[in-house]
Amino acid sequence: MLRYVARRLLLTLPVFVGILFISFLLTHLSGDPTDLILTPDTPDHVREEFRRRHGLDQPFLVQFYQFCIRALQGDFGNSLRFNQPALELVFERLGATAELALAAMFLAIAVGIPAGVVAAYRRNTPIDLGVRAVSLFGLAVPSFYLGVVLIFVFAVWLRWFPSGGRGTWMHLVLPAVVLAVDQLALIARTTRSCMLDVLNQDYVRTARSKGLGEGWVVWGHALRNAFIPVLTVIGLQFGILLGGVVVTETVFSWPGVGRLAVQAIYARDFPVVQATVFLFAVIFVIVNLIVDLLYAVLDPRIGYK
Amino acid sequence: MKHAVRKLLLASALGVALIGSASASTLVVAQNFDPQTLWPNGTTASDNLNAGSAIVEALFWVDPNGEVFKPLLATGYELESDTSVIVRLREGVSFTNGEPMNADAVIHSFNIFIDTSKTPAYARVSDPFESIEKIDDYTVRMRLKYPYPPLRLALSQMYITPPGYWNEVGLEAFGLRPIGTGPFVFESWARDDRLVMSLNADYWGEGPDGITELVWRPVPDEIARAAGLMTGEFDIAASLPVAAALEIDARPDLSMVPVPSYRIYQMILSSLEEHVSPLQDRTVRQAMNYAVDKDAIIEYLLFGYGVPLRGQVLREPQLGFNPDLEDYPFDPDRARALLAEAGYPNGFNLDFKCPSGRYAQDREVCEAVAGMLADVGVQTNMIILEPGEFLRQLRASELWPLAYVGLAPQDDPDLQVSQYHSTWRYSYIRNAELDRLIDTGRQEMDVEKRAEIYRDAMALMREEAPIIFLFGGVDFYGTSDRVANFNARGDGRFFFYGVSATR
Repeated sequence: MLRYVARRLLLTLPVFVGILFISFLLTHLSGDPTDLILTPDTPDHVREEFRRRHGLDQPFLVQFYQFCIRALQGDFGNSLRFNQPALELVFERLGATAELALAAMFLAIAVGIPAGVVAAYRRNTPIDLGVRAVSLFGLAVPSFYLGVVLIFVFAVWLRWFPSGGRGTWMHLVLPAVVLAVDQLALIARTTRSCMLDVLNQDYVRTARSKGLGEGWVVWGHALRNAFIPVLTVIGLQFGILLGGVVVTETVFSWPGVGRLAVQAIYARDFPVVQATVFLFAVIFVIVNLIVDLLYAVLDPRIGYK
Repeated sequence: MKHAVRKLLLASALGVALIGSASASTLVVAQNFDPQTLWPNGTTASDNLNAGSAIVEALFWVDPNGEVFKPLLATGYELESDTSVIVRLREGVSFTNGEPMNADAVIHSFNIFIDTSKTPAYARVSDPFESIEKIDDYTVRMRLKYPYPPLRLALSQMYITPPGYWNEVGLEAFGLRPIGTGPFVFESWARDDRLVMSLNADYWGEGPDGITELVWRPVPDEIARAAGLMTGEFDIAASLPVAAALEIDARPDLSMVPVPSYRIYQMILSSLEEHVSPLQDRTVRQAMNYAVDKDAIIEYLLFGYGVPLRGQVLREPQLGFNPDLEDYPFDPDRARALLAEAGYPNGFNLDFKCPSGRYAQDREVCEAVAGMLADVGVQTNMIILEPGEFLRQLRASELWPLAYVGLAPQDDPDLQVSQYHSTWRYSYIRNAELDRLIDTGRQEMDVEKRAEIYRDAMALMREEAPIIFLFGGVDFYGTSDRVANFNARGDGRFFFYGVSATR
C-alpha cells in the first residue's frame, strides 16, 4: 500500500510541472500587468523600474526558468499588488475556503445521500419525482442568482442571517446553502442511480431472504456497495470547492481563495495567480489520492500493491 | 459564603462595565476592495486611501464639503519664489507611538515621497519636487525643479509617517500595521474580511464625534453592499449602483448621498494622421456631437444622475471652466447636413470599442450612442472589451477611431486638459494651438491668468470636438441614520473629520 502511495505521488510531479507551465504561459499571454497596477499617467522611467524589479522585462522562457527555480524552494514571488509573498496570501485565505467547503459538503452529503437512497428505494413515486425535480432546480439555478435571492429573503427581509462576511456559524449558513444546493443535486442523482443498480442485484435479494431487516439491507449492504461512484463525485466536488468558489465568495464577501484568485486574474497579478493555481492542483491531487485509498477501505476486493 | 459574595460583586462589576461599554459606538464602512496597503502613498486607489488616511495624515487635505483646501499637519505654506515653498507645520502633534510630528518627520516622509522606486504610484505628482531642507523644528523649505501650479494637490497627498517606526519595520510592514497622527489607531486586520480601528484618544484635532471603533468591510458585490446597508450591518456603503441608490433613498432610515464624480465620460474621436478614418475631418466630429442626445442618456439610462458637460471637460467648480460655452444640442438633421457637407451623404462605417464592466452602464451607454449614430448614417461595428484588455489598449493608444472612455485625472485643470496634449501617451488629438495653451497653463502661477488660459483651451476644444462630450458621472453612497455629516469627493475619497455617529 505504501509503495502504491509513493508511486502515485511520484507520478504527480510531471503533472505539477505541466500545470505550472500552462498557467504561466496563459497568464503571461493575457497581457502586461504594469498598466493595471500603476496608474496610466505614471512616467515611463517609473514603469520601466517596476518592470525591471518584477522581472517583467525578461524574455518569457527566462522568466519561466527563474520562476521554476524559486518555486521549487517554495517561493512564488511577491504579489504585484500587495508586496507580500504570493503563497502567504493564498494560505491566509485557505482556512476560510476550507471552512466553507466543509460546511457545504457536509450539508450536501447529509441531505443528498439519504435523498438519493429514498428516491431509489421509492422509485417513480412522488418522493422520487420530488427529489429529481429539486435536483434539477439546484443544478439549473445559477449560484449568483440564488445567493442574491437568499440574501434578500433571509437577511434583508427576515433578518435571520447576516448578509455576508465571515464570523459566527450564522455567517456560514447562507453561502454554504448556495454551494450545497449544487453539490446536493449531483450527489443525490448519483446515489439514486447507483442504488437503483445495486437494489436489483442478487445479493440484495439474498440478504432479504436471510431475514435481515429492510433498514440493514438498504443502508448497510446496498448503500455500501453503491457508494464508490458517489465517493468519486464527492471527492471531485470537494476538490473543486477547496479551489475556492468565486461567485459565492464574491456575493457573500467570504474572504476565501476564490475571490483572491479572480481579483488577481483581473489585475494580472501573476505571482498570486500562479500560487493559487498550483495550490489548487496540489489539493486536487491529494484529494483524489485519498478517494482512491478510500476505495480500498470500502471494497475489500480492491487491493493496491 | 465570602467566596460567593465576592463572585457576585465581580459579576455585577462586570455587568456594569459591559453596560458602560455598550454605549461605545462602532461604525461599519463597506467598500469595494480590501486595502492592499494602509500606507496612503502606497497606491492611489480610493479604497486604500480612505482607510489609510484615517490613521496616517497628510500636510493638507481637501474637504469634500465645497472642495476646500484646508490645513492638516501643516498650518500653511508660502511661495518664496516660483520654485521654492516654505511650509509651516502644526506644533504639539505626536504620532501614536510617542514620536513627535516635526520637520524631521516631514523630511523623512518627503524623501520617501519623491523616491519613485518606493512611491511609483505618485511619480507624476512628486516629479516637480527636488529637495527639502529644515529651517527649524516646525518649518521646512521645499525646492521645486520648475514652477508647479498644482502645488496644493501635491501637498495634500504627502502623508507623514513616523521615521523611527518606519525605519524599524520597513515599507511593507508599515503598510500592514501603520502608525500615524490621525483620528484612529490600527487595531486588527483580518484580510479580505475586516479591518478594525479604534479611536485615537489623544488626537490633536477635532475628531469624529461618537465613534469609538471604525470597522472596514470589503464587499466586492455591489448588491451585497446595498443589502448590508439595508440590514443595518453597514453604516456607510460606498460605490452603490444607481438602482440600489434609488431604493435606499426611498427608505426612511437610510440616506443616499449622490456625489458628482471627477470622472468625465466621453467618446474618443481619433483625429491622428496615422488613424485613417472619416473622423479626421472636424466637420464629421462636430456632426457626431449633434447626433447624440446626451440629455436622453442622462435621463433614461442614468435616471437623471449624470452631470451635463457644457461642451467642455472641466467641471463647473474647477478653475478654467468656461461659463460661456454650451454643449452641441441634439440635432440629427444638422448632423446629417454636416456629414453631407463633409462628403458623406450616405454616412460611413466605423469600429466602436466599448469596455464591459469597467464603468457603470458602459455597455448600455455605448449601445444607446451606437443607435443614435446609426440614425444619422454612421454605422458602427461594436467591439466589446474586457476591462483588463480595455486598459491595455487605452495605454497603448489602440482605442481608435471611436471608443467610450471615462477619464478621471486628479483635480487640477492641467492634469485634466493635458490628456489632450499631443505628447500625452494616449491623446487622440494633435493640435498645436491646444498644445501651446496647455504648456502655458502648466507654468502659469497667477491664478487669474491661468483661469483665462484654460477657458480659451475649453473654447478651442469645443470647436475642434476631439471627443463626443457625454456626461460627468455621479457616485452613490448610502448611510444609515446613525451617521451625520458624511460627504465624499468626486474621486471617491471620504474622511471622518466632522462626521458624527449617534447611538
